[in-house]
Amino acid sequence: MQSHAAELFFKSESSYRMLVESSSDIIYSRDKAGCFTYVSPAWTKNLGQLPSQVIGHTIGEFVHPEDQPACRKLLDGAVQVGQTGEYTFRFRQLDGTWRWHISRETPHIDGNGVMAVVGIAHDVTERHRIQSIMALTEKMVMVSGLAAGMAHEINNPLGAIMQHAQNIERRVSMDIPANVQAAEEVGVDLSLVRDYLEKRSIFSFIGHIRGAGVRASEIISQMLSFSSRGETGIATVDLSKLLDKVVVLAATDYEMKKQYGFRTLEIVREFAAEPLYADIASPEIERVLLNLMKNAAQAMAAPEMTREPRLTLRTRADEGMVVIEIEDSGPGMDETTCLRVFEPFYTTREVGNGAGLGLSVAYNVITGMHRGYIEVSSRPGEGSCFTIKLPVRGTL
Amino acid sequence: MITNSSITVLVVDDDEMIRECVAAYLEDEGFTVFTAESSEKGLESVTSVHPHVCITDMRLPGINGDQFIIRAHQLYSGTRYLLHTGMLYSLSDELRLIGMTADDVLLKPIHDLSKLVARIRYLATDGGHHAVG
Repeated sequence: MQSHAAELFFKSESSYRMLVESSSDIIYSRDKAGCFTYVSPAWTKNLGQLPSQVIGHTIGEFVHPEDQPACRKLLDGAVQVGQTGEYTFRFRQLDGTWRWHISRETPHIDGNGVMAVVGIAHDVTERHRIQSIMALTEKMVMVSGLAAGMAHEINNPLGAIMQHAQNIERRVSMDIPANVQAAEEVGVDLSLVRDYLEKRSIFSFIGHIRGAGVRASEIISQMLSFSSRGETGIATVDLSKLLDKVVVLAATDYEMKKQYGFRTLEIVREFAAEPLYADIASPEIERVLLNLMKNAAQAMAAPEMTREPRLTLRTRADEGMVVIEIEDSGPGMDETTCLRVFEPFYTTREVGNGAGLGLSVAYNVITGMHRGYIEVSSRPGEGSCFTIKLPVRGTL
Repeated sequence: MITNSSITVLVVDDDEMIRECVAAYLEDEGFTVFTAESSEKGLESVTSVHPHVCITDMRLPGINGDQFIIRAHQLYSGTRYLLHTGMLYSLSDELRLIGMTADDVLLKPIHDLSKLVARIRYLATDGGHHAVG
């Protein structure tokens, strides 16, 4: 009888053990100080650390600093109030990268009457990534629409400013007989009026008005490109050749040469063995690639740069799409910057060093015009990698 | 050599600022300039003035600039057109049929009106359907 009960006990014990140990979600328990007392094998499988590296340590050692206050609140809620709580936070993998997990913790009193919590953590990194992309897409559609609408409305007054400035220049010109005649009619000598305007730098002020107008109109034309569909039509292009062409373009760009030392950069080409073709609007994609190379060169010219500047260009095929990667060895970006780089007017550069439109135009060209994807992965101190995926058989 | 004063230009734009500054510049260049603030007024001017060249805004109250051109061309086929637009614009087949090319689409804002002068002269002379007499 006793042995049957023992057999049942061990059977049920091994069933429970099997359930816990084969779960793909991480099952764990923590004591009321927050230290892990148990982690299931899924921890090692998902995050890399061995149980011995986790048990006895606090959860704070494995959770992203930004998520720690909420993580502590979850424990306090369970231990002090006895409530079950749920929260999404990032666990650190062995390689230092973060995985998003949704964790549900329930208070539990063990056999010795000691309060503890039992938790289940489910990996939602992929879901989180897709949600971020969708949120970004929605934001981009809204902001781009707003930018294009504003650009359109600003065009007329801007045109009037520039053209009237030009008219002012013309109306004091000696070349137009009507000007000379009007001056005579009011009893002044037009050449003296011109001398005065010259002496008081008024011609130069008018020149500045026109110059500023040209600068503003360049920004406007980029903003308008958010809602345009490209006028160039598509062509089948060999991506490696395209990248090589853009490298040549970049090397001849004045800013790239003088300010960012593009010619001294090491350029590594990791192209697919076979030529990769895609149907694309070539001039638009060239501009996107040039822009990405420019950003990379600019990042690598930063004073905090400690590693050798290296630009890596890759091409590969991936499930009916072609992939282009542009990776730099620059100082990298934090997560907040990564999430916002594609927003119009978002820039980490100082005022006057670009309007912060390049990457939002790139985003529009890739996702809007070509139905592709563009993503960035970066970490502070480890460079940035922009990945572009384009349909092989593209239509605009 | 055809002088600018023998070339008649009609400027159609509902925005007074733009209409007046384009007209002022063209007048200074010696062209004979007429203006219209709507497509209806523009159609009247095309039939009464027979301009050599008409510059029209794309966004007009009532009918759009491209539709205005098609209607005006039906009323009088001797005028050449320039379409002034804030957005990138692909010429429709109808506009191509009446002889317009991508060079006849002027993207706003025009930085330098002197380029407009060259285009008007081209259209009104050898680039046009008829020579200025």
